[in-house]
Amino acid sequence: MLYVIEDMINGILMGSIYGLTAMGLTIIFGVLKVINFAHGSLLMVGMYAAYWAITLTGVHPYLALAIVIPVMFAFGYALQNIVIKPIFIAEKNVREPITVIIVTTGIWYILDNLTLLVFGPQYRSLTANPLQGQMFELGSMFVSAPKFYGFIIALVTAAAIHLFMQKTIMGRAIRATSMDREAASLMGINQYRIYNVAFGIGAATTGIAAVALIPFNNVFPTVGVLFDIKGFIIVVLGGLGSISGALLGGIIVGLIESVGPQFMTATWTEAIVYGLFLIVLFVKPSGLFGQKHDW
Amino acid sequence: MKHQHINKIMLAGLLVIAFALPLVIRSATYLHILVLLFFYAYLTTSWNIVGGFAGVLPLGHAAFVGIGAYTSTILSLQYGVSPWLGMLVGGVLATIVGVIISLPTLKMRGAYFALATIAFAEGIRVMVENIDYIGPLKLNGPRGLQIPPLETGLASFMFASKEPYYYIILIMLLAVMLLTYLISRAKLGYYLMAGGEEPEAAMALGINVARAKLIAMAISSFLTALAGTFYAQFSLYIHPKSIISLDMSFEIAFIALIGGRGSIVGPLLGALLLRPVGDFCRIYFGDTLPGLHLVIFGLVLIFVMLYQPRGIQEPISRAYQALLNRLIPQPSLGR
Amino acid sequence: MSMLHVEKMTKQFGGLRAIDALDLTIDKGQILGLIGPNGAGKSTAFNCIAGSFAPTSGQITFEGKRINGYKPWNLCKMGLARTFQIVKPFASKNVLYNVTVASFVTTGSRKIAEDKALAVLESLNFADKKDILAGNLTIADRKRLEIAKALATEPKLLLLDEVMAGLRPNEVDEMVEIFKALRDRGITIFVIEHIMRAIMALSDRVVVIQFGKKIAEGTPQEIANNEAVIKAYLGEDYVAAGN
Repeated sequence: MLYVIEDMINGILMGSIYGLTAMGLTIIFGVLKVINFAHGSLLMVGMYAAYWAITLTGVHPYLALAIVIPVMFAFGYALQNIVIKPIFIAEKNVREPITVIIVTTGIWYILDNLTLLVFGPQYRSLTANPLQGQMFELGSMFVSAPKFYGFIIALVTAAAIHLFMQKTIMGRAIRATSMDREAASLMGINQYRIYNVAFGIGAATTGIAAVALIPFNNVFPTVGVLFDIKGFIIVVLGGLGSISGALLGGIIVGLIESVGPQFMTATWTEAIVYGLFLIVLFVKPSGLFGQKHDW
Repeated sequence: MKHQHINKIMLAGLLVIAFALPLVIRSATYLHILVLLFFYAYLTTSWNIVGGFAGVLPLGHAAFVGIGAYTSTILSLQYGVSPWLGMLVGGVLATIVGVIISLPTLKMRGAYFALATIAFAEGIRVMVENIDYIGPLKLNGPRGLQIPPLETGLASFMFASKEPYYYIILIMLLAVMLLTYLISRAKLGYYLMAGGEEPEAAMALGINVARAKLIAMAISSFLTALAGTFYAQFSLYIHPKSIISLDMSFEIAFIALIGGRGSIVGPLLGALLLRPVGDFCRIYFGDTLPGLHLVIFGLVLIFVMLYQPRGIQEPISRAYQALLNRLIPQPSLGR
Repeated sequence: MSMLHVEKMTKQFGGLRAIDALDLTIDKGQILGLIGPNGAGKSTAFNCIAGSFAPTSGQITFEGKRINGYKPWNLCKMGLARTFQIVKPFASKNVLYNVTVASFVTTGSRKIAEDKALAVLESLNFADKKDILAGNLTIADRKRLEIAKALATEPKLLLLDEVMAGLRPNEVDEMVEIFKALRDRGITIFVIEHIMRAIMALSDRVVVIQFGKKIAEGTPQEIANNEAVIKAYLGEDYVAAGN
């Protein structure tokens, strides 16, 4: 019984980090109405940025946030402005920007394989890592410390995004655009600039997730693919566009992965997650919780 | 001479070249590359029926390749069924699976459909990796299935040299291209195009859009599965990661999008462009610059989407037409 | 026998009642005009009748058959065709292709479908533009294409949603003649229009709605002189334009 509780705690912690990795995806979808297939690659770029920031400066892993957040914001902003914006402008009248999905898939392939070319296929992990193997002991149960911190980071990030969107002028402009882009642009909001900023915020959020992951997750060129598909699943479970939904969806996936192996071969849990995903897509494509605008 | 006649002569000439190629190219490596090129052109042409004509974006077609490959291989290994027959059984099975998965998914909006097909294909791969046996049928999990050498010949779908494979896949490709040509000129082709471009208008014109798409998906999954059997007989070894891979699903879509979604020759042109680039990079830079070809694919894809959203077939056919007009001016049609 | 009979049709969107207990009848071979201010619920009424969505309550009968909740493609096959206020051409294809899509509804043969499409284009004086891409047409021609597509499905009842908006006066006159000719061929027409001159010249009867409710019905003359209508809707515009 204790094992199950321990697994559940770890599942919730890891799941909230999954949710954090998917938050950027859900923000970008909420505003641009586009699923960014390069999302996993953004996470990978963030992890490499964090890895090198920590390795080269020797700071505590979480201090890398000071570098990773602005770098990822700029990266996301530029990516949207240079590559994706022209498609939006060319396809102004197309209701479903499928071309954007395709272009982000191209970005995914380029980023992953450029990284492979530059850094090689090897797995990297932090050498001087103060969080390495750190555990909290709760009676006879063990809880991974970096995962617990990741859980805290996820909650704080969600709250920060919420506050930003509610309280700042830019946040309100982003929300207005996400609700009705035509009306927003009639109010003098530059739709494409909002897209750039939203993409930047999505990428920066993904950078935060990268920093949360780096103390216990290896870095390699295709690390994003794992989180890519998981991210799609999480945001659909939680309702595309919803931040709290991303957290809850992440926790559901985390729980299946951690508790599932008590009852079946570990590899089967993956099939369960895909199955759940397809069922939700069929039955309730708006997500399990159905909330669309919670920010 | 009329352009129509020149087109027919050109087509005949290309066919002669395609059939004569193995007489000139004796290298097994190059033939292997050509076989895979046509294999991908075939897959992409089959994908195009739903991904091009019907205007949706399926990203899980490798699942049908896998169903075809596994069905014929299991039937042949365990029950001695001819792979040719197994090919048809696999096709039928893939059609059933394709229809079942499409019934709920085809109603979804574009992005959701793309995600659903990915999850479906990944789900199939994970299941095959985790299943050693379905009842008496041996899938052998992640280790895959090896096809032991049998007596070679057309009956066993097994040959000592590459040439027969070349001719089989060439004929399959030509057949499927002819089929898509016929579909594009038939009621179904008109209905798919209309439903893909303006679903609401199409419905008001008497078109059951969902049903047209379902038919397209059924045809597409059937044809795709046939290629799975071909691949199994060609490589004599199949395992989930090679044949139900996301990379294959994406490569099919990439080739179609770059070649020209919804056009008859687009998939072949896309394969003619991308496959040699990929093979060249793999052979010459595989060790020093791994992944180079995928960077190039990504760049070409983005470039094409930005500047030639209807694929490279458009500038190519325009250039061909311009060349014809210059060489053999036609009397003006008064347009 | 009435071609279309609508009884107490109501359509509710959340808290908004877009159509409120609407009654109307169109006899075979008639042209019925539907007018009302912007947002009165005209297009919503069309969408309910043509099957884009089912009405919340009420009865719709087409040739004596109850058609509530029928799918648009089935209604089209039964002989009920409609155009869209916001035209929806298949932009990447030429005019002939667009119309052929529609004429396939009664045949499986491309040859027959194309011939029929050409005949429809001829009847609308539109055949000379058959090779032009629909996306490159002028507004007037897009409207005409929209009508050609609807006609190619061989309708008994044609719902026209503002097909004259944006046309020049001489083009409006041409359209009016075309619709009269269609009516003379036995096609019943139900038309939403803002251009009063056209609706008055065309309609046998006119129904006026406001806030989803019918406020008047009668011949064009009766409507033009109806106090409630003038107050609610026509106002000075009509007085100025009509005289």
